[in-house]
Amino acid sequence: MNRISLVALPLALAVGALVAVSAQQTPPAPTSPAGAGSQQRAPAAPTGPVKRLPNGHVDLSGVWQGGGPVGDIKMGLAKGETLPIKPEWQKIMDARQSKDDPEANCLPTGVPRRDPYPWRILQTDTHTFLLFEGNIHSYRQIFMDGRKHPSDLDPTWYGHSVGRWEGDTLVVDTVGFNDLFWFDFIGTPHTEQLHTVERYTRTNLGTLLIETTVDDPGAYTRPFKITFTARLRPGEELMEYICNENNGFVHHITGPAKEF
Amino acid sequence: MRAKLLCELVALGAALWSPPLVAHHSFAAEYDASKPVALKGTVSKVEWTNPHARFYVDVKDEKGAVTTWNLELASPNVLRRNGWTRTSLNVGDEVTVEGAMAKDGSKMANARVVKLADGRRVFAGSSGGDAPPPPAN
Repeated sequence: MNRISLVALPLALAVGALVAVSAQQTPPAPTSPAGAGSQQRAPAAPTGPVKRLPNGHVDLSGVWQGGGPVGDIKMGLAKGETLPIKPEWQKIMDARQSKDDPEANCLPTGVPRRDPYPWRILQTDTHTFLLFEGNIHSYRQIFMDGRKHPSDLDPTWYGHSVGRWEGDTLVVDTVGFNDLFWFDFIGTPHTEQLHTVERYTRTNLGTLLIETTVDDPGAYTRPFKITFTARLRPGEELMEYICNENNGFVHHITGPAKEF
Repeated sequence: MRAKLLCELVALGAALWSPPLVAHHSFAAEYDASKPVALKGTVSKVEWTNPHARFYVDVKDEKGAVTTWNLELASPNVLRRNGWTRTSLNVGDEVTVEGAMAKDGSKMANARVVKLADGRRVFAGSSGGDAPPPPAN
């Protein structure tokens, strides 16, 4: 049995069984996440051609999931690439404890980290907005009016972003970050010198390729590039998610972040 | 009988097919997937709140002593997208929970499968266990 079959068989069993179970029960009570009521994995992201806005640019709008590091930023490196982290920052990273992960403490992911929750792209003539359901139910604003970065930025979690089009790719240049967020669960660090250039390419209706060049001469010996893919979640809407509502259990998190 | 078989198949599918990582923290930093726990008891409290829904189960030992366990689920949004509602678990329900124990030894666990008061075993939409992270490329 090949790998696909190993995955597909229990999946088919679960989905098939749930459809049958759901049909037998009225009213339908909670089902397995693999069930007919689940929107977590179904329907699959479409693969049709991309659409265009009246101004001719690619329509990036929609509810997406993924597109950046969650557990380990190195998963986005090209095969054979290594993270060019400076030794002194490797030591800082190794000492980080999971309980101190800003995301676990309901603070923003920063850039380029993503959380496992859906997010939406909203385009206007002057701005592109990234609206995040999850940590921390916040947003990024990307100025599309040709302005430059101010010279006197206060360091912030999402920095200052300006966008431009290169063909069908949206290029987002961001500076002005604080050094408070981590790149992933394992505590990959950065400094306030961080400068990111993200390239958003909707390769088909349901797929958004996000290539990010991470340039931080404070913590890394050279810039490096990561690539992640976001998938469209057709029919999905963002829901409220206020992380700080009841986050009273962080003290149960133990151990070094690197052991994720 | 057929329904029971189907439910078992559902549980089998849920057990074999892990969910995506849906927590805002590392699962492995809080729970130990190698320490499974099975609890049977009475729901004493339900918190339908972020970042994780939680419920508390009073478990009696053979001598009648009661221990209250704190059980973590996914966020309410993730649960709703997977068919749960805030009334899926209610105070007084008799349930059985399969999960992974907290690493710090406290009476906490991450719920993976819950056998509800009506007898159905449903996937708990937990924060992961051995769940793989989202695809990288």
